[in-house]
Amino acid sequence: MSVSQVFGGVLRGLILGLIAFAIFGPIANMLLWTVAEVWYYPHKLPLEWGFSFWERVFRPQGNARLSLVNSIFIALLTVVVSLAIAIPAGLALGRGRLPFRSLFLLLFLLPQAFPSLAVHMNIARIFYSLGLNGTYAGVVLVHTIQGLVFSVWISTAAFAAVDRELEEAARNMGAGPFRVFQTVTLPLALPGILASAIFVFLISLDEFTGTYFVGVPDITTLPLLLFTASMEGNYQIASITALILLIPSIAFMLAVEKFLKAEVLAKVGT
Amino acid sequence: MRLSALVKTLLAAVVAGAMAGTAGAQSVLNVASGGSQNMVDYVTDYLGPLFESRNSRWKVRVVGTGPGDAGSQAILEKLAAQVGSDAWDTDVVVINQLKTTEMVESGLLSTYRSEIGTGSLATRDTVRLALGTDVDGYVMPMFHSQTAIAYNPDLVPTPPASFDELKAWVEAHPGAFGYNGIKNGMSGVAFTAAWMYAYAGNTDQIMNGPYDPAIKDTWDQALADLRAFNEHVSFTPGNAGTLDMLNRGEIVMGPVWVDMFHTWQADGRLAPNLKLTLPEPGMPGQPYYYAIPTKAANRDAAKAFIELATSPEVQAEGIVNRFNWYPGIDAEHVQDALDPQVWTKIFLDVTPQDLASKGKPFPLGPFFTEIKEAYEQKVSN
Amino acid sequence: MKTVDRQGLAAIVLMMPALVTLCVLFLYPLGYSLLWAFRNEEQDTWTLANFAKSFDFYSTDIIFTVLIVTVSTVLIGVCSILIAGYLALGENRVAVLILRWLYRWPLFIPFIVAGQLMRTFLAKNGMMNNILVSGGVIEPLQAVSFLDWRGIVVTFVWKQTPFVTLLLAGAIATLDRSTIEAARNLGARRFRVLLEIVVPQVSTTLMVGLILSYVLMMSVLSVPLMINAQSPTMITVDMAWRINSYGDYEVANALGFISYAMTAVVAWIYLRQGIRQDGSPT
Repeated sequence: MSVSQVFGGVLRGLILGLIAFAIFGPIANMLLWTVAEVWYYPHKLPLEWGFSFWERVFRPQGNARLSLVNSIFIALLTVVVSLAIAIPAGLALGRGRLPFRSLFLLLFLLPQAFPSLAVHMNIARIFYSLGLNGTYAGVVLVHTIQGLVFSVWISTAAFAAVDRELEEAARNMGAGPFRVFQTVTLPLALPGILASAIFVFLISLDEFTGTYFVGVPDITTLPLLLFTASMEGNYQIASITALILLIPSIAFMLAVEKFLKAEVLAKVGT
Repeated sequence: MRLSALVKTLLAAVVAGAMAGTAGAQSVLNVASGGSQNMVDYVTDYLGPLFESRNSRWKVRVVGTGPGDAGSQAILEKLAAQVGSDAWDTDVVVINQLKTTEMVESGLLSTYRSEIGTGSLATRDTVRLALGTDVDGYVMPMFHSQTAIAYNPDLVPTPPASFDELKAWVEAHPGAFGYNGIKNGMSGVAFTAAWMYAYAGNTDQIMNGPYDPAIKDTWDQALADLRAFNEHVSFTPGNAGTLDMLNRGEIVMGPVWVDMFHTWQADGRLAPNLKLTLPEPGMPGQPYYYAIPTKAANRDAAKAFIELATSPEVQAEGIVNRFNWYPGIDAEHVQDALDPQVWTKIFLDVTPQDLASKGKPFPLGPFFTEIKEAYEQKVSN
Repeated sequence: MKTVDRQGLAAIVLMMPALVTLCVLFLYPLGYSLLWAFRNEEQDTWTLANFAKSFDFYSTDIIFTVLIVTVSTVLIGVCSILIAGYLALGENRVAVLILRWLYRWPLFIPFIVAGQLMRTFLAKNGMMNNILVSGGVIEPLQAVSFLDWRGIVVTFVWKQTPFVTLLLAGAIATLDRSTIEAARNLGARRFRVLLEIVVPQVSTTLMVGLILSYVLMMSVLSVPLMINAQSPTMITVDMAWRINSYGDYEVANALGFISYAMTAVVAWIYLRQGIRQDGSPT
């Protein structure tokens, strides 16, 4: 082994180490905060460790449990509403002979093309006049629009990836269009639709801005709880909440390729 | 005879059952609280359970709307949105002074102080006037609080006794003083107001009125000085952020709420050696008010709740002992119910004499808004 | 012919729920926000005063928003090209495997969580400085807090780089490897191959990823609120402040309008670039 190879290996290891530190350092720091009980300057590590803040977060009268239940409830509802909207739209865009198809596809990208904060604050204002502010319905609707492009595009791709010959075969055997959809198209598109459902679930779970304008103060979700705790300097509580939000995100990151098959991914946005 | 007796008994049983049913079914008293998380915790962990234990029919539900004007503005909007309906969904509100004046002026609150037993226990001028507006009858103070300068005595053996000394110290120690501007909680707003009291002139008029729109044109020098002062300052992310940076040793001095300071110290979240001082000419403090919305669905329960909250024993145990605020009702009613040690603890650094001479109110409503806007326009931009 | 029409009609009916949602929850409030920027509610007139006040109060923040988002976008671009490039051209298989496993972690971490992580990590006496001091890299007195505009940039880059890298790595994987191999065989250095052969072929993907990130960063509220809500900061903070403290939708919408304008500039540059490339004689 030559000197330059050794040098290259050391350099490679050093850079990888730095990247690892940049990525895991902040996460490790958060984990430390979840079990720190007393920690002040100039001590570099907590003075006392323990789980008393976990008890505080999950005490029955505290609002963390409620926020967790709220978050999951809202995310599930958002998935239901999004799928109810996106499955027919995906069918039309992926299968049907829709005039101006690519224009419609682009239309759903529009919410991604404008800074959403300015839109959200006006949604809040409109919802106020409709009595939707501070209601589950209001929050679910805001989350739905956030996830719309993903749910529509991914389900479109999922339907487009279904082999048309299988549908033809079913039709030739005398099945009506609805029966073909039910027994052939939907089951084949299901993995892609599941992927879009997971995507929407995550978006809703993590959504902050819309809930901040539409839900507060009546509906608190985990991101809002995290925000309040952090702004109040309750880093333990903020870190514990962050950890709860982190787990599904990282699980999805590790599994994303299993859910989004390459052939579906290749058809996204086409 | 027998049959009718039987019917009567049955009827009575049914009626009793129905009554028991309603008595057993819990009604919910809705409390909306502005202010920091500790104020929400106070109702969640102490006052709410206490009220429930004495009135088993009631369940207290509290929502926190956040600190500063924004938190109380959220309550204002919540009530204003319901003006058209007959029974509003909020029974008790806990709000800051500025938004109280706006809510009283727009008819969102009702008078109740004379109707509760503890109404006569609070006699400070804040009970009648909020930032120059007459709020007599509409409010009971939940607590009074005060801002002061917290510092680390290991690094600052002689804390500044006046704003001039503070200014000199900050210039000599750039970055060691921190505050949170005006957008993120009231301790920074209080510091800004105190700066104006010290340097803008017309101090008495800014605090007590009468309002004069020409006054704000005389502020340019004070604002320019504050802008220069800000060059040497670390900015902190909020009321709690100032305490946190003190705790982490990132700043050694900064304006804080006295109650939060004591609470954090008691919790082990703040280094035990830190101390407080109140420099000349003084800094603002404020009460938070209990008030009842005009069309509260459960007005009687709301009154009972506030009566309990402002009773001497609750003020002593809850407000002073557990949460380190100054009492909302007059101190003499509270002192008897309190352990003398607790009493000396909260008055250790900032004495009652300091409070009397250097505890200021926030500016008159319109001046207050002008100060904040002038800050954005001429100091932070 | 008739069946096609019926199918087209059916497709439009199927589209209806999605279209209605889009109109009611996006286009309508968007129109609202554009109009309100020019409104004076009290006098019921149209005005430019909201913009005057926006610049009078927040001109520093407007400039900083452009700076923060632009710097972040550039850094995200550089980092993702380097990472995706190494994944494609790296020769040490173990290092490639480790990097592939490493870079994606922040991919789905929400902005608000990233903000909280960085808030404690980047503080003056936070973990980063503590480790640097303990490792002897810096002296304790040199430790500075990164919780200002730099902290916002770091958080954005940390959170968005994996997204753009993922897109880029996907695009690079579909490239025809023969030109790359040919260049390598001619002895071209990997870095040159990356910049001169690989990146030009995936530039569309890169631009799309960067523009999506740019728009996303332009509207994130939680990160600037948590890292640094003081001036100079981002205009998202000012928008929330106008609404929450004053109920002032007019100035908030004027600021919103300014954020649309910043996005529009980027979109325009992108489109122009696209036209130029199409029209070029190659």
